[in-house]
Amino acid sequence: MPYREKSNLLALAAMLVAYVPYFIVAAMAPIQTVVAPNLLLLTLFAAVSVVRLVILGVGYLWFRVTTPEDVREPADERDRAITRRSTTVAYYVLMAGTLVAAAIMPVWFAGWTIVNAALFAIVLAEIVRCLVAAVSYRRGWNG
Amino acid sequence: MAEGAITNQIRTLRFLAGEMSQAELGQKIGVTRQTIAAIEAGKYSPTLEAAFRIAEVFGKPLGEVFQWVKS
Repeated sequence: MPYREKSNLLALAAMLVAYVPYFIVAAMAPIQTVVAPNLLLLTLFAAVSVVRLVILGVGYLWFRVTTPEDVREPADERDRAITRRSTTVAYYVLMAGTLVAAAIMPVWFAGWTIVNAALFAIVLAEIVRCLVAAVSYRRGWNG
Repeated sequence: MAEGAITNQIRTLRFLAGEMSQAELGQKIGVTRQTIAAIEAGKYSPTLEAAFRIAEVFGKPLGEVFQWVKS
């Protein structure tokens, strides 16, 4: 498996492991109607971000030790084409999520609910980017 | 728009070039071994520049390396 495909799958796994539990907790938390710090979610978000960084760090270290020649190989035209495609698809997901969080949700919600919606849009866009890249590497892409 | 697919003779040409490896060909045109494997398997259509570079490596015109097959 190419290094960039592996690192892409690692990024996807790290996102899922770290942020799925966070958003489950955030979805079950009572809806906040006033703007105030939410220490529970703040702490949890910091913790899952650290978990994600640890997973990425250990993964990249593993790649560096097991396949050092692959890590040094620069991205070629196929890698760049797949990156362009996945980033373009993720951009639309991010735009849609941002519009919902910034323009529609403030009508009914406030505070951390909106913050979490914006975070969810970012995480969802990143997951979509990784998924599109993974499918493009696996099933091929002629575009 | 006419429907079709790009096929190629890279595997055969590598064999005729003394069983040149995918990594060797990739190195000569500046792509990874995995990209050559994807091109051979029809999973990736290379850029025009890469296609010309591949043809140049084998000393063949582009049309002998890549073909457009109508479906």
